[in-house]
Amino acid sequence: MTALLSLSGIVCGYGANQVLRGISLEVAEGSLTAIIGPNGHGKTTLLRTISGLVPLTEGTMHFAGQSIGRKRPDEIVAAGVVHVPQGDLLFPEMTVLDNLQMGAYLPEAAKQMRIRLEEVFTLLPKLRERRNQIASTLSGGERRMVGIGRGLMAGGKLLMLDEPSLGLAPILIDQIYEVVWQLTRTGRTILLVEENAVRVADRATQIALLDNGTFAWTGAGAELMARPKILETYLGA
Amino acid sequence: MKNLTGIRRDLAIGAVLTALAIALPFLTGTRYIVTQTTLFFIWAIVVTQWNLVLGIGGIFSLAQMALFAVGAYATAMLGYYFHMPMVPAMLLAALATVLVSVLIGLACLRLRGPYVALLTLAVAQVLFLLITNDTDCFTNPESGCMPLFAGVRGFTRFGDLGFRAILKSKFYIGHYYVGLFLLVLATAFAIAIIRGPAGLAFQALRDNPGYAVSRGISRFKYQLWLFGLSAFFTGLAGAFYAVNFAAVGPIVFSISVLLFLLSMIVVGGIGTVWGPLLGAALLMLADEAMREAGDWRDIGLGLILAGFVVLLPRGLAGLRFRSFRR
Amino acid sequence: MDVPVDVWVQIIASGLTLGAMYAVAAIGLALVYGSLNMLNMAHGALMALGGYICFYTMTRLGMPALVGVAAAMVVCGAVGLAIYLAAAQPMLRSANFETQIFIATIGIGAILENVILRAFGPQPQPQSLNLTGALVIGNVHIPNQNLLILAVALGLMVVLSLLLRHTRLGRAIRATAQNREAAQLMGVRVSLVYAQVLALSGALAAISGIMVSSLSGLLPNMGGDPMLKAFIICVVAGLGNVYGTVATAIVLGLLEAWIQYVLGVRYSFALLLLLVIVVLIWRPYGLFGRKQVVRL
Repeated sequence: MTALLSLSGIVCGYGANQVLRGISLEVAEGSLTAIIGPNGHGKTTLLRTISGLVPLTEGTMHFAGQSIGRKRPDEIVAAGVVHVPQGDLLFPEMTVLDNLQMGAYLPEAAKQMRIRLEEVFTLLPKLRERRNQIASTLSGGERRMVGIGRGLMAGGKLLMLDEPSLGLAPILIDQIYEVVWQLTRTGRTILLVEENAVRVADRATQIALLDNGTFAWTGAGAELMARPKILETYLGA
Repeated sequence: MKNLTGIRRDLAIGAVLTALAIALPFLTGTRYIVTQTTLFFIWAIVVTQWNLVLGIGGIFSLAQMALFAVGAYATAMLGYYFHMPMVPAMLLAALATVLVSVLIGLACLRLRGPYVALLTLAVAQVLFLLITNDTDCFTNPESGCMPLFAGVRGFTRFGDLGFRAILKSKFYIGHYYVGLFLLVLATAFAIAIIRGPAGLAFQALRDNPGYAVSRGISRFKYQLWLFGLSAFFTGLAGAFYAVNFAAVGPIVFSISVLLFLLSMIVVGGIGTVWGPLLGAALLMLADEAMREAGDWRDIGLGLILAGFVVLLPRGLAGLRFRSFRR
Repeated sequence: MDVPVDVWVQIIASGLTLGAMYAVAAIGLALVYGSLNMLNMAHGALMALGGYICFYTMTRLGMPALVGVAAAMVVCGAVGLAIYLAAAQPMLRSANFETQIFIATIGIGAILENVILRAFGPQPQPQSLNLTGALVIGNVHIPNQNLLILAVALGLMVVLSLLLRHTRLGRAIRATAQNREAAQLMGVRVSLVYAQVLALSGALAAISGIMVSSLSGLLPNMGGDPMLKAFIICVVAGLGNVYGTVATAIVLGLLEAWIQYVLGVRYSFALLLLLVIVVLIWRPYGLFGRKQVVRL
């Protein structure tokens, strides 16, 4: 079966400093892929490249049979790649509801607006409570939920989550990840960037360790747990 | 030690250019060329200082021409109302310009970039309106009603540098060398700032404001200093302009002149050492070429300005010399 | 101060009119700055262009007023779009965008003004779109033209508010202004939004230009002062805040009318500026401002 998302020989970065140097990856439909690795080595850049925010220097990217290497971010979203960015990037002056509705901006998604909104509120009940609250006044955990909810409103075939646990207290992280596991159970394809490898290791279909711009190791989640040396070397765990 | 070789190169270039400039009146007999070059000196001073403010200090000020005008008007008024000799008048005028610039700086410099631009533009416009809308007669000589700031007519007959008495019909050569002298001073000042520790401080403020602040570099203080010091030479240029042409009027506030000078900086290259001079020279030449064109002159200038910003934002100097900033 | 009531009413009426005209110009500027971080210094020239196109359409082509206004809006909208394509879009990614586009639009404004000068000559012209007559209540004389300006400005603001709140384009504009990358990730085609904002701003400039010229006549450089005042209004309100800009415009209009009555036209701009500087020293981000964002 051909992969939903396949990257080959990706080289990209900012100006003279090419952050990623030769990345190849295949994400199968319905799987959970986790990208782990030390900070500052390109995990976020990788997601931003896939979603089109960072232009590609070299290499190819294919999604659902289409080449997305040279496309604009809005075209890539329309193709079905939904990126929930690091730091949430909410619309600060809009309400929670407005933010969620922006998630369904594209015409296809807009048609499903009511249904999806209900689904998101069911999955993340806190958001229903706070739906008229201005986004900039939300707490960290609430913002994270809005970000994810917004991503879900877009529908899409691939959901990319960039560090969903960033800056949150452990109890909130558990809550967020509960939501993530529920999503995997419904068969969504998820590409996840996570600093804490242990948390995702046993659920992930595939783990890729990004170190210094390339994948130092890829394999199934369970394999990673069986290699404490890797955990130690790269992640200090 | 990159800066040291930089300074050496600058001094070498400066020495060559100064030598050429000194020789010019002897190489050409034409009065027109000498007087136009004197005008070039004046604009070059303004533009080198404006370049410091814009390119090094990162202060988006459009008040440069207003400061120039303060220097010009102060000189004319000191001569006209107090019959002060021109040399002390010019110095006083330059100091007055510094004072005005500090006031403007205190009001505007704590604000962000676009705010500074708009406010300084507004200040210039307000000064223009105050001068031209004043119809009350402050004094009433035989030549007619004279408002305090001379209104639309402007000041004439307020003083002289004394060259007419000494050199008779070749007085303009005396003016030429005074202008050259002022330009050399102004450029030396600019080089000292750009290549010196101040320049590094400003670069730090631009590249990494957080770090600079933590090292005790206050953006506001540094900018205010630069704004004030550069105003000294700008005011001096204005003062010399008044004395050289023996006339001062509100024309110095016109958008045309602003456009002209802004183009010089953009074409030459913002933030570079020699960019402003290069730009000034080129624009003066272009102006000569467009002199016959009348209305098209401003259209031409607008095209040059917009065209260069869009297509060649580093200016011409930015092409060859490694631009000091960005 | 001992001022009779009808004079107060007169001052308020002209103040509101001034405020309304400035508000229409200022909203266009606020939208553009809020979305693109662009100070469009060609806005004044666009205002003049709008005034002249309306005049030309009505006088030389003999068309009715509405056609004149429509023509002005279309032409100025197109020029706004052209400015975006030729100057803003190529430079969008550069580090110095704000500064560069500021300078570039100064140049473009000069080009436009001089094209107008070549086409129509330097002599002042009265604007053709001008209602005669006045509303007379006792001693108070309110020209119908002023009432028209007020009505149009009000109508425009309602339309704009509806546009920003309830249309897809409006949401795209607000989203782009609040967080451009997030907007892109929602599927907003940001460059299209920018183009539309600039075209919209051009059309608004045209209307404002027609209004201003109906009161003070047409001159190629007529847009300069109103644009500067409109910018100052935006700055005092806090760049990007649409409702705040309207409120500030009205207050400033009233102030200007009052200062003009008390001290004469000569000092009004100077005092206004002084006031603005004081306000900014007190609140450096503007009265209602926090970040550069288009807010309602």
